[in-house]
Amino acid sequence: MELRVIYDTKHSAFWNMAFDESLLVHLKDIGPTLRLYGWKPPAVSIGYFQSMEEVDVDKAREMGVDLVRRITGGGAVYHKYEVTYSIVLPSIGGRILDSYRVIDMGIIKALTSLGLDAQHHGINDVVVNGKKISGNAQTRKYGGLLQHGTLLMDVDVDEMFQILRVSEEKLRDKIVDSVKHRVTSLRHEGVEIEFGELQKVLADGFREALNARMYEEEIPREVYDYAKTLEVEKYATREWNFRR
Amino acid sequence: MRPGSGISEGRAEYKAGKLIKVRARFEDDTIRDIKITGDFFLYPEEKIEDIERILRDRRLDEVEDVLAKVFSDVEYEGISPEALAKVIREAWKRRS
Repeated sequence: MELRVIYDTKHSAFWNMAFDESLLVHLKDIGPTLRLYGWKPPAVSIGYFQSMEEVDVDKAREMGVDLVRRITGGGAVYHKYEVTYSIVLPSIGGRILDSYRVIDMGIIKALTSLGLDAQHHGINDVVVNGKKISGNAQTRKYGGLLQHGTLLMDVDVDEMFQILRVSEEKLRDKIVDSVKHRVTSLRHEGVEIEFGELQKVLADGFREALNARMYEEEIPREVYDYAKTLEVEKYATREWNFRR
Repeated sequence: MRPGSGISEGRAEYKAGKLIKVRARFEDDTIRDIKITGDFFLYPEEKIEDIERILRDRRLDEVEDVLAKVFSDVEYEGISPEALAKVIREAWKRRS
Protein backbone atom coordinates (compact mmCIF):
# COMPACT_ATOMS: atom_id res chain seq x y z
CA MET A 1 0.00 0.00 0.00
CA GLU A 2 1.07 3.56 -0.72
CA LEU A 3 0.52 5.73 2.35
CA ARG A 4 0.75 9.51 2.23
CA VAL A 5 2.10 10.99 5.46
CA ILE A 6 1.48 14.49 6.79
CA TYR A 7 3.81 15.67 9.54
CA ASP A 8 1.51 18.34 10.85
CA THR A 9 1.99 20.84 13.66
CA LYS A 10 -0.24 21.74 16.63
CA HIS A 11 -3.65 23.20 15.81
CA SER A 12 -6.95 24.13 17.42
CA ALA A 13 -9.44 21.39 18.25
CA PHE A 14 -11.87 22.71 15.65
CA TRP A 15 -9.30 22.64 12.86
CA ASN A 16 -7.98 19.22 13.90
CA MET A 17 -11.40 17.57 13.72
CA ALA A 18 -12.33 19.45 10.54
CA PHE A 19 -9.11 18.44 8.77
CA ASP A 20 -9.54 14.77 9.78
CA GLU A 21 -13.06 14.74 8.37
CA SER A 22 -11.96 16.49 5.19
CA LEU A 23 -9.21 13.88 4.67
CA LEU A 24 -11.87 11.15 4.93
CA VAL A 25 -14.22 12.93 2.54
CA HIS A 26 -11.37 13.35 0.00
CA LEU A 27 -9.96 9.83 0.42
CA LYS A 28 -10.59 8.97 -3.26
CA ASP A 29 -8.57 12.01 -4.40
CA ILE A 30 -5.68 11.82 -1.94
CA GLY A 31 -5.42 8.07 -1.28
CA PRO A 32 -4.63 6.41 2.05
CA THR A 33 -3.24 9.10 4.33
CA LEU A 34 -1.68 9.26 7.78
CA ARG A 35 -1.64 12.59 9.59
CA LEU A 36 0.39 13.20 12.77
CA TYR A 37 -0.49 16.30 14.77
CA GLY A 38 -0.92 18.02 18.11
CA TRP A 39 -3.27 20.42 19.89
CA LYS A 40 -2.80 24.11 20.62
CA PRO A 41 -4.47 25.27 22.79
CA PRO A 42 -5.02 22.07 24.76
CA ALA A 43 -8.49 20.62 24.26
CA VAL A 44 -11.02 18.08 25.39
CA SER A 45 -12.65 16.03 22.67
CA ILE A 46 -15.79 14.10 23.51
CA GLY A 47 -17.17 11.09 21.67
CA TYR A 48 -20.03 11.42 19.18
CA PHE A 49 -22.54 9.95 21.65
CA GLN A 50 -21.41 11.77 24.77
CA SER A 51 -23.06 14.70 26.44
CA MET A 52 -21.07 17.90 27.00
CA GLU A 53 -22.19 17.38 30.62
CA GLU A 54 -19.07 15.18 30.86
CA VAL A 55 -17.07 18.41 30.93
CA ASP A 56 -16.91 21.34 33.33
CA VAL A 57 -17.41 23.92 30.59
CA ASP A 58 -16.70 26.97 32.77
CA LYS A 59 -13.50 25.45 34.12
CA ALA A 60 -12.34 24.58 30.60
CA ARG A 61 -12.91 28.16 29.48
CA GLU A 62 -11.04 29.47 32.52
CA MET A 63 -8.10 27.16 31.74
CA GLY A 64 -8.12 28.09 28.04
CA VAL A 65 -9.05 24.58 26.96
CA ASP A 66 -11.11 24.15 23.77
CA LEU A 67 -14.03 21.71 23.68
CA VAL A 68 -15.01 19.75 20.61
CA ARG A 69 -17.25 16.82 19.68
CA ARG A 70 -15.71 14.14 17.45
CA ILE A 71 -17.44 12.30 14.61
CA THR A 72 -16.16 9.10 16.22
CA GLY A 73 -17.58 7.35 19.28
CA GLY A 74 -15.68 6.60 22.46
CA GLY A 75 -14.90 8.70 25.50
CA ALA A 76 -13.70 12.15 26.51
CA VAL A 77 -10.00 12.81 25.99
CA TYR A 78 -7.83 15.61 27.36
CA HIS A 79 -5.36 16.48 24.60
CA LYS A 80 -2.21 18.22 25.73
CA TYR A 81 0.97 16.18 26.02
CA GLU A 82 0.59 13.83 23.10
CA VAL A 83 0.99 13.08 19.44
CA THR A 84 -2.33 12.39 17.77
CA TYR A 85 -2.66 10.43 14.55
CA SER A 86 -5.45 10.11 12.07
CA ILE A 87 -5.49 7.63 9.27
CA VAL A 88 -7.90 7.37 6.36
CA LEU A 89 -8.09 4.16 4.36
CA PRO A 90 -10.55 2.52 2.00
CA SER A 91 -12.89 0.39 4.17
CA ILE A 92 -11.08 -2.83 4.95
CA GLY A 93 -14.24 -4.91 5.42
CA GLY A 94 -14.85 -7.23 8.33
CA ARG A 95 -15.92 -6.25 11.77
CA ILE A 96 -14.86 -2.87 13.08
CA LEU A 97 -13.38 -4.49 16.18
CA ASP A 98 -10.98 -6.41 13.94
CA SER A 99 -9.91 -3.33 11.99
CA TYR A 100 -9.04 -1.57 15.27
CA ARG A 101 -6.57 -4.36 15.90
CA VAL A 102 -4.98 -3.92 12.47
CA ILE A 103 -4.51 -0.16 12.84
CA ASP A 104 -3.58 -0.28 16.54
CA MET A 105 -0.62 -2.41 15.42
CA GLY A 106 0.93 0.81 14.10
CA ILE A 107 1.03 2.20 17.64
CA ILE A 108 2.17 -1.10 19.11
CA LYS A 109 5.06 -1.27 16.61
CA ALA A 110 6.02 2.33 17.46
CA LEU A 111 5.99 1.59 21.20
CA THR A 112 7.95 -1.61 20.67
CA SER A 113 10.65 0.33 18.82
CA LEU A 114 10.87 2.60 21.88
CA GLY A 115 11.62 -0.48 23.97
CA LEU A 116 8.17 -0.84 25.54
CA ASP A 117 5.98 -3.92 25.76
CA ALA A 118 2.66 -2.77 24.28
CA GLN A 119 -0.57 -4.64 23.68
CA HIS A 120 -4.03 -4.06 22.28
CA HIS A 121 -6.58 -4.03 25.10
CA GLY A 122 -10.38 -4.14 25.12
CA ILE A 123 -12.14 -2.50 22.20
CA ASN A 124 -9.93 0.46 21.40
CA ASP A 125 -7.01 0.87 23.80
CA VAL A 126 -3.30 0.16 23.71
CA VAL A 127 -1.66 -0.60 27.04
CA VAL A 128 1.91 -0.70 28.33
CA ASN A 129 2.50 -2.73 31.50
CA GLY A 130 -1.28 -3.07 31.76
CA LYS A 131 -1.85 0.71 31.74
CA LYS A 132 -3.55 2.68 28.97
CA ILE A 133 -1.17 4.81 26.90
CA SER A 134 -3.27 5.20 23.76
CA GLY A 135 -7.00 5.51 23.03
CA ASN A 136 -8.42 5.13 19.54
CA ALA A 137 -11.71 5.70 17.77
CA GLN A 138 -12.91 4.79 14.32
CA THR A 139 -15.74 5.60 11.96
CA ARG A 140 -16.67 4.44 8.48
CA LYS A 141 -18.23 6.95 6.16
CA TYR A 142 -18.05 8.31 2.62
CA GLY A 143 -16.77 4.93 1.43
CA GLY A 144 -13.77 5.02 3.72
CA LEU A 145 -12.52 4.52 7.22
CA LEU A 146 -11.14 7.13 9.60
CA GLN A 147 -9.37 6.15 12.77
CA HIS A 148 -7.82 8.70 15.04
CA GLY A 149 -6.10 8.23 18.35
CA THR A 150 -3.57 9.50 20.81
CA LEU A 151 -0.20 8.46 22.11
CA LEU A 152 0.46 10.08 25.48
CA MET A 153 3.90 11.66 25.92
CA ASP A 154 3.00 12.75 29.44
CA VAL A 155 -0.16 12.80 31.51
CA ASP A 156 -1.36 14.86 34.44
CA VAL A 157 -4.47 13.11 35.75
CA ASP A 158 -5.20 15.83 38.35
CA GLU A 159 -5.13 18.51 35.64
CA MET A 160 -7.35 16.36 33.42
CA PHE A 161 -9.94 15.95 36.18
CA GLN A 162 -10.12 19.67 36.77
CA ILE A 163 -12.05 19.67 33.49
CA LEU A 164 -13.65 16.23 33.26
CA ARG A 165 -16.62 15.64 35.51
CA VAL A 166 -16.98 12.42 37.47
CA SER A 167 -20.23 10.48 37.78
CA GLU A 168 -20.36 10.74 41.56
CA GLU A 169 -18.74 13.82 43.06
CA LYS A 170 -18.39 12.27 46.51
CA LEU A 171 -16.28 9.50 44.96
CA ARG A 172 -14.07 11.97 43.08
CA ASP A 173 -10.81 11.22 44.94
CA LYS A 174 -11.32 7.50 44.54
CA ILE A 175 -12.12 7.79 40.81
CA VAL A 176 -9.14 10.06 40.10
CA ASP A 177 -6.91 7.69 42.05
CA SER A 178 -8.12 4.68 40.10
CA VAL A 179 -7.49 6.48 36.78
CA LYS A 180 -3.94 7.28 37.95
CA HIS A 181 -3.40 3.55 38.35
CA ARG A 182 -4.84 2.73 34.94
CA VAL A 183 -3.20 5.39 32.74
CA THR A 184 0.43 5.90 31.81
CA SER A 185 2.54 7.89 29.34
CA LEU A 186 5.90 7.64 27.62
CA ARG A 187 7.46 9.84 30.30
CA HIS A 188 6.01 7.64 33.06
CA GLU A 189 7.49 4.62 31.29
CA GLY A 190 10.91 6.31 31.18
CA VAL A 191 10.85 7.45 27.53
CA GLU A 192 11.73 11.11 26.96
CA ILE A 193 11.07 12.04 23.34
CA GLU A 194 10.37 15.23 21.40
CA PHE A 195 7.09 15.79 19.54
CA GLY A 196 8.74 15.73 16.09
CA GLU A 197 10.77 12.66 16.91
CA LEU A 198 7.67 10.79 18.12
CA GLN A 199 5.84 11.70 14.89
CA LYS A 200 8.60 9.90 12.96
CA VAL A 201 8.52 6.89 15.28
CA LEU A 202 4.75 6.62 14.85
CA ALA A 203 4.97 6.97 11.06
CA ASP A 204 7.51 4.11 11.04
CA GLY A 205 5.19 2.02 13.22
CA PHE A 206 2.30 2.44 10.80
CA ARG A 207 4.57 1.83 7.79
CA GLU A 208 5.63 -1.46 9.28
CA ALA A 209 2.18 -2.51 10.56
CA LEU A 210 0.45 -1.78 7.25
CA ASN A 211 3.36 -2.90 5.11
CA ALA A 212 3.13 0.47 3.37
CA ARG A 213 5.42 2.61 1.28
CA MET A 214 5.35 6.12 2.77
CA TYR A 215 5.53 9.30 0.77
CA GLU A 216 5.06 13.01 1.44
CA GLU A 217 3.19 15.11 -1.11
CA GLU A 218 1.34 18.37 -0.89
CA ILE A 219 -2.36 18.09 -0.04
CA PRO A 220 -4.67 19.58 -2.70
CA ARG A 221 -6.10 23.02 -1.96
CA GLU A 222 -9.71 21.77 -1.88
CA VAL A 223 -8.97 19.51 1.10
CA TYR A 224 -7.94 22.59 3.13
CA ASP A 225 -10.83 24.64 1.78
CA TYR A 226 -13.39 22.02 2.79
CA ALA A 227 -11.71 21.64 6.21
CA LYS A 228 -12.01 25.41 6.65
CA THR A 229 -15.74 25.20 5.91
CA LEU A 230 -16.17 22.31 8.35
CA GLU A 231 -14.17 24.16 10.99
CA VAL A 232 -16.39 27.23 10.82
CA GLU A 233 -19.76 25.67 10.06
CA LYS A 234 -19.52 22.51 12.17
CA TYR A 235 -16.74 21.96 14.69
CA ALA A 236 -16.56 25.49 16.09
CA THR A 237 -20.34 25.70 16.53
CA ARG A 238 -22.32 25.29 19.71
CA GLU A 239 -24.94 23.46 17.70
CA TRP A 240 -22.54 20.59 16.95
CA ASN A 241 -20.54 20.52 20.17
CA PHE A 242 -23.52 20.70 22.52
CA ARG A 243 -25.97 18.69 20.44
CA ARG A 244 -26.24 15.78 22.87
CA MET B 1 -45.04 20.49 34.71
CA ARG B 2 -48.32 20.14 36.58
CA PRO B 3 -48.26 17.74 39.58
CA GLY B 4 -50.27 14.63 38.86
CA SER B 5 -49.83 15.02 35.09
CA GLY B 6 -48.19 11.60 35.16
CA ILE B 7 -44.97 12.81 33.51
CA SER B 8 -41.78 11.95 35.36
CA GLU B 9 -38.09 11.99 34.53
CA GLY B 10 -35.67 9.17 35.19
CA ARG B 11 -31.94 8.75 34.74
CA ALA B 12 -29.79 5.65 34.88
CA GLU B 13 -26.43 4.43 33.71
CA TYR B 14 -24.84 1.07 33.15
CA LYS B 15 -21.42 -0.16 32.16
CA ALA B 16 -21.53 -2.80 29.45
CA GLY B 17 -17.85 -2.60 28.55
CA LYS B 18 -18.52 1.08 27.89
CA LEU B 19 -20.84 3.44 29.74
CA ILE B 20 -24.46 3.81 28.62
CA LYS B 21 -26.45 6.70 30.11
CA VAL B 22 -30.17 7.21 29.69
CA ARG B 23 -32.24 10.23 30.55
CA ALA B 24 -35.93 9.83 29.79
CA ARG B 25 -39.36 11.32 30.41
CA PHE B 26 -42.13 8.84 31.08
CA GLU B 27 -45.88 9.12 31.17
CA ASP B 28 -46.94 6.10 33.22
CA ASP B 29 -45.13 3.25 31.43
CA THR B 30 -44.71 5.09 28.12
CA ILE B 31 -41.51 6.80 26.99
CA ARG B 32 -42.25 10.37 25.89
CA ASP B 33 -38.69 11.54 25.37
CA ILE B 34 -35.27 9.89 25.65
CA LYS B 35 -31.59 10.80 25.36
CA ILE B 36 -28.98 8.04 25.13
CA THR B 37 -25.38 9.09 25.73
CA GLY B 38 -22.09 7.41 26.59
CA ASP B 39 -18.69 6.34 25.35
CA PHE B 40 -19.87 3.33 23.33
CA PHE B 41 -19.54 2.79 19.58
CA LEU B 42 -22.39 2.45 17.11
CA TYR B 43 -22.09 2.39 13.31
CA PRO B 44 -23.40 4.33 11.56
CA GLU B 45 -23.31 6.88 14.39
CA GLU B 46 -26.34 8.85 13.18
CA LYS B 47 -28.47 5.79 13.93
CA ILE B 48 -28.62 6.92 17.57
CA GLU B 49 -31.01 9.70 16.61
CA ASP B 50 -33.26 7.13 14.87
CA ILE B 51 -33.17 4.90 17.94
CA GLU B 52 -34.21 7.79 20.18
CA ARG B 53 -37.01 8.71 17.80
CA ILE B 54 -38.28 5.13 17.47
CA LEU B 55 -38.38 4.75 21.26
CA ARG B 56 -40.63 7.76 21.69
CA ASP B 57 -44.24 6.90 22.59
CA ARG B 58 -43.38 3.24 23.16
CA ARG B 59 -44.50 1.37 26.24
CA LEU B 60 -41.80 -0.22 28.37
CA ASP B 61 -42.94 -3.73 27.44
CA GLU B 62 -42.31 -2.92 23.76
CA VAL B 63 -38.74 -1.71 24.27
CA GLU B 64 -36.95 -5.08 23.95
CA ASP B 65 -38.64 -5.91 20.63
CA VAL B 66 -38.16 -2.43 19.19
CA LEU B 67 -34.47 -2.41 20.10
CA ALA B 68 -33.85 -5.94 18.79
CA LYS B 69 -35.21 -4.80 15.43
CA VAL B 70 -33.41 -1.46 15.23
CA PHE B 71 -30.06 -2.94 16.31
CA SER B 72 -30.25 -5.68 13.68
CA ASP B 73 -28.67 -3.52 10.97
CA VAL B 74 -26.08 -1.63 13.01
CA GLU B 75 -22.67 -2.64 14.28
CA TYR B 76 -22.00 -1.83 17.92
CA GLU B 77 -19.43 -2.19 20.70
CA GLY B 78 -19.88 -1.39 24.38
CA ILE B 79 -23.66 -1.20 23.96
CA SER B 80 -26.27 -3.83 23.05
CA PRO B 81 -30.05 -3.89 22.70
CA GLU B 82 -30.27 -5.94 25.93
CA ALA B 83 -28.03 -3.56 27.89
CA LEU B 84 -29.85 -0.49 26.61
CA ALA B 85 -33.27 -2.00 27.47
CA LYS B 86 -31.97 -2.66 30.97
CA VAL B 87 -30.86 0.97 31.45
CA ILE B 88 -34.21 2.24 30.18
CA ARG B 89 -36.05 0.05 32.71
CA GLU B 90 -33.70 1.26 35.44
CA ALA B 91 -34.37 4.90 34.49
CA TRP B 92 -38.12 4.14 34.71
CA LYS B 93 -37.70 2.63 38.18
CA ARG B 94 -35.76 5.70 39.31
CA ARG B 95 -38.19 8.22 37.84
CA SER B 96 -39.40 11.02 40.04
